[in-house]
Amino acid sequence: MSGSARSLARRIAARLLKRGDEDRRLVAAHFDAAYYLASNPDVASAGGDPLSHFLAHGWREGRDPHARFSVQGYLDNNPDVAAAGVNPFVHYLRQGRHEARPSAQTLGFRYQAISRLAPIGDQIAAATQASAAVQVGSAQALAKALGRARTGLAHLHITFSHDDYRTKVGGLQLCLQQEAVGLANRGHDHLHLFPARPWPVLRATGEAGGLEVLLNGESLGVYAGATVAEVLATAGPTGRRSFAIHSLLGHAADETCAIVEAAGLSAGFYWLHDYASVCAGFHLLRDGVQDCGAPPLDSGACSICVYGPARTRHTAAHAQLFRRLSLTVVSPSEPTLATWRQGGDLPAAGAMVHPHATLAPRGPASASEGPLRVAYLGFPVAHKGWPIFRELALAHEGDDRYAFLHLGAQPEPGLPVAFHEVKVGPGKPRAMLEALETHAVDVVLMWPLWRETFSFALYEAIAAGCAVVTGPDSGNIAAVVAADARGWVLPDEAALGAAFADGRLAELSRATRKPMLYDLTLSGMTLDLIAAEAPV
Amino acid sequence: MKILVYSSFTFSYLNRARVLFQTLRRFHPDWELVALITDEPPAGFTFDPASEPFDRVVWARDLGIPNFEGWLFRHDIVEVCTAVKGPFIHHACSSGADAVIYLDPDTALLASLEPLERLLEEHDILLTPHLTDPNDDDMAIQDNDISTLRTGIYNLGFVAIRTTGEGARFARWWNDRLLSYCYDDIPKGLFVDQRWCDHVPALFDRVKIVRDPGYNVASWNLSTRKIAIGKDGVITVNGVPLRFWHFTKLGAVGDAMTKRYAGTNFPVYEIWAWYKRLITEATDPTIPERWWAFGAYQDGRPIAKSERVLYRERADLQAAFPNPFASGRGSFQEWLEHEGA
Repeated sequence: MSGSARSLARRIAARLLKRGDEDRRLVAAHFDAAYYLASNPDVASAGGDPLSHFLAHGWREGRDPHARFSVQGYLDNNPDVAAAGVNPFVHYLRQGRHEARPSAQTLGFRYQAISRLAPIGDQIAAATQASAAVQVGSAQALAKALGRARTGLAHLHITFSHDDYRTKVGGLQLCLQQEAVGLANRGHDHLHLFPARPWPVLRATGEAGGLEVLLNGESLGVYAGATVAEVLATAGPTGRRSFAIHSLLGHAADETCAIVEAAGLSAGFYWLHDYASVCAGFHLLRDGVQDCGAPPLDSGACSICVYGPARTRHTAAHAQLFRRLSLTVVSPSEPTLATWRQGGDLPAAGAMVHPHATLAPRGPASASEGPLRVAYLGFPVAHKGWPIFRELALAHEGDDRYAFLHLGAQPEPGLPVAFHEVKVGPGKPRAMLEALETHAVDVVLMWPLWRETFSFALYEAIAAGCAVVTGPDSGNIAAVVAADARGWVLPDEAALGAAFADGRLAELSRATRKPMLYDLTLSGMTLDLIAAEAPV
Repeated sequence: MKILVYSSFTFSYLNRARVLFQTLRRFHPDWELVALITDEPPAGFTFDPASEPFDRVVWARDLGIPNFEGWLFRHDIVEVCTAVKGPFIHHACSSGADAVIYLDPDTALLASLEPLERLLEEHDILLTPHLTDPNDDDMAIQDNDISTLRTGIYNLGFVAIRTTGEGARFARWWNDRLLSYCYDDIPKGLFVDQRWCDHVPALFDRVKIVRDPGYNVASWNLSTRKIAIGKDGVITVNGVPLRFWHFTKLGAVGDAMTKRYAGTNFPVYEIWAWYKRLITEATDPTIPERWWAFGAYQDGRPIAKSERVLYRERADLQAAFPNPFASGRGSFQEWLEHEGA
């Protein structure tokens, strides 16, 4: 290299360093380190400076510098910035904000969800691969482990679901916890079967997948479905036996039938916790973003939907299941049963509504002062409506008419939202209800994208004296709110935004409504129905 | 009505054509589907027309175009794939079909095109305009209204004709014009096959301009078209059923223009996501990206656009080198190296 070339190289290097320092100073003034670390646990656990991480790697990986700037959204809106390959946040601060380029994702959260959709075939292939690696135990091992049964499996209730009700949080899991408690009280045995690896859909015949076996709440390990059937067929004398299907995700219909039949059963209960018997998209959310209403399979909607190719996998498997077994469909609400009936014509032995919980008045609530306290309950996920709440909170930051609260187990940091940790689970069934009362929440925003089949959160909100604001596609939530005047069912998100903007929402304050408080009593789930059929 | 549908493409667009023909087969199993190909299969790819979702293949070479190699050389890939549409539609008028529909390979049906059959009972020529509503926003006017003033009012990703009467007369005229003047030369008033059709309403009777927004939806008219999907499963555009979409510029450019005009109208992104999944499934990895057998000389050296234009403009070169693709002694390529510079 000649002397002049070396000098040029030095000058360029110096300029780049200077530019890097300027970028760092510029970004540092607007960077939310706490938000960055909370949003990126891998960065937090690796240690190091979050700002350096963002400048070196983070922006290239789509990590946002604070809650109001979307790296991906900025690139989506500005193909010139994407083509230039520069840090979009630096571009925004230097140039974009002066050109009125929007900093947030303007295409909506549904755009982001659609852009992340993986073909259902790929999801199934991943589950198949993960399941193939599962080691399963022998029939002898299972038979030996089942020796710990309370009644030698004579009095046995078998349940099927998609996961471990002991450790996972959700309405379905709460139902199974209730059944488990009821069975323990009766001194009966409870055998729970769920796929050892998560599955997005039902397994087809021949697709391998071990089942984890829980006996009376204790794991006995993972076994092939055929092994479970083989061992049950040779178990000792039978007494009072029953079964309930809470979810078939990760189960194969013929395998489920074989297990049930091996236990000497054919009549049982099929719960509508979701719409898996209607479609592989068991939330009935077309492409995960909009209630589809279960249209005909040959419709335009099903043709373009990511779940369309797998819909017959579910309808055919359920048809097989309902033909082979004598299943009574149990719905936790009327609208859920109506949707199920509209979505197919499975040959059920019967159909009934059995709510998971009931409300009983316990006295008037006290009125609260100050801004309207608006809360979101539970996990901050799109199908529960978190992005809609999030946008409202951001839009009304500093608006002294409102205070936004998030009650749940997992926060999203960096937002103008007061997070309060609430974990509902065994031993703490009233945790959410109590938190809602403690924080004197006026309004719970429940804007799920899907038709909730029951929604414990709805009943907890009502029991705590809160008004509920919801949309038209929220299933049992909209039905209960409309029928019992528990709040508002608004026609769309524009109407929701308008109600916040014009302040009309204040009509739902505790002070104006003077609500009643309620006790919330959980049902015994399937055990209530078994008792009704054959009292112990 | 006996209907023939054709699409014109090269092997690099086979994936798109497969998707188009699959959707055509779904809604119109009785229509004859023809692939018009101006290409040769790449080495390593086995082309088996019997397993493709179309009924037959017509090779551009077999259209009876005089001095085919020389004629082909005068065009780049887009020009030639649009130019051959004319000779084919002209031939198709005597194929026994009552009507012929052309669809670009990057279109796909989302519902039946049956209403077009009704329109063809009353009309001989159907065209879809790029725009069926004016824009008011300045960026949209620049991107769409002014752009179509340069490239043509009607989008020739679609045309449908009866094979008799004014339809046949149109086919003959379009054939003649495209054989001689199907170039991307906007300064001279040409934009491949498309600008020509600005003349159609003036030159022909029994023309129907299909202003139903359900046809030929694309990024260039999304600014005035809103997509909705009802709980009955019907996909609509401004309240009428969506018939077919034109997935212009699959990739970053198409994405950018789509996002610019779809905004938060999320069913648009669902439709694109669906199309991209189908394209992935239909893509054969043994076909090299941007493959075109006529993109290079015999020795494999790429043909520059300027070389095609020079050959196009020089009748003496056309006469001297009837097969300009050849390499070696006495070839046009050799002439370029020694004299063309």
